[in-house]
Amino acid sequence: MSMEKAFERSFDSLEGIFAFTGEFFARESIDPGEHHAVELAVEELFTNMVKYNAGSSAAIVLRMERCNGDLRIVLTDPDADHFDPTAIEAPRVDRPVEEREPGRLGLFLVRKLMDRIEYEYDGRRSRITLTKTLG
Amino acid sequence: MLEIGYGEGGEIRLAGRFDASQAEGARRFLDGVEGTRTVDLKDLSYISSAGLGVLLAAQKRLVEAGGGLRLVNVSSHIHDILRYTGFHQIFEIETL
Repeated sequence: MSMEKAFERSFDSLEGIFAFTGEFFARESIDPGEHHAVELAVEELFTNMVKYNAGSSAAIVLRMERCNGDLRIVLTDPDADHFDPTAIEAPRVDRPVEEREPGRLGLFLVRKLMDRIEYEYDGRRSRITLTKTLG
Repeated sequence: MLEIGYGEGGEIRLAGRFDASQAEGARRFLDGVEGTRTVDLKDLSYISSAGLGVLLAAQKRLVEAGGGLRLVNVSSHIHDILRYTGFHQIFEIETL
């Protein structure tokens, strides 16, 4: 079963997004041990879409579904520049504090926490699909 | 929602959810912190890269001035995030 909802392109949408993911977790009886990783992945990709395409007013669509043992999360931005999150170089997380710079940790964490990330770009529509195999 | 403030012992307490919508308020608070401080995360249920970025910026500034933040009462799922991002190498961390 799947759930889908469109969210305004704003950080202020995060509260509604977490209410939506919470409803999905409850409906699908998702283990609480998986919640943080899934919420984090959704936030990182959603806020990236907000930050790097702030000029658009188009809503961003979040869909979540459970397929057998997998949880699938799809974020669709109907009006985006090309930005492939699977092609971003990983930050150096082994450097001392004086050499660390804030930033680039979000997509790094998404790749760490999810089992698969797929990116599709067609016209100006960007779609990112995350898959997490549930334990 | 994130709550940030000082506890009775002078420690900084972070409670709730530290997401991108809460980062600016937390940054303003931490910009006023000086010296060496303990940050109690016992009631922090969630942190994203936006929250990590705020903690990292504060740590860089404080370490450069001879101080720093020490993170205590860190839950296991937040500890995983800190470990993945190398924060265990730049903060002193105590788990719950």
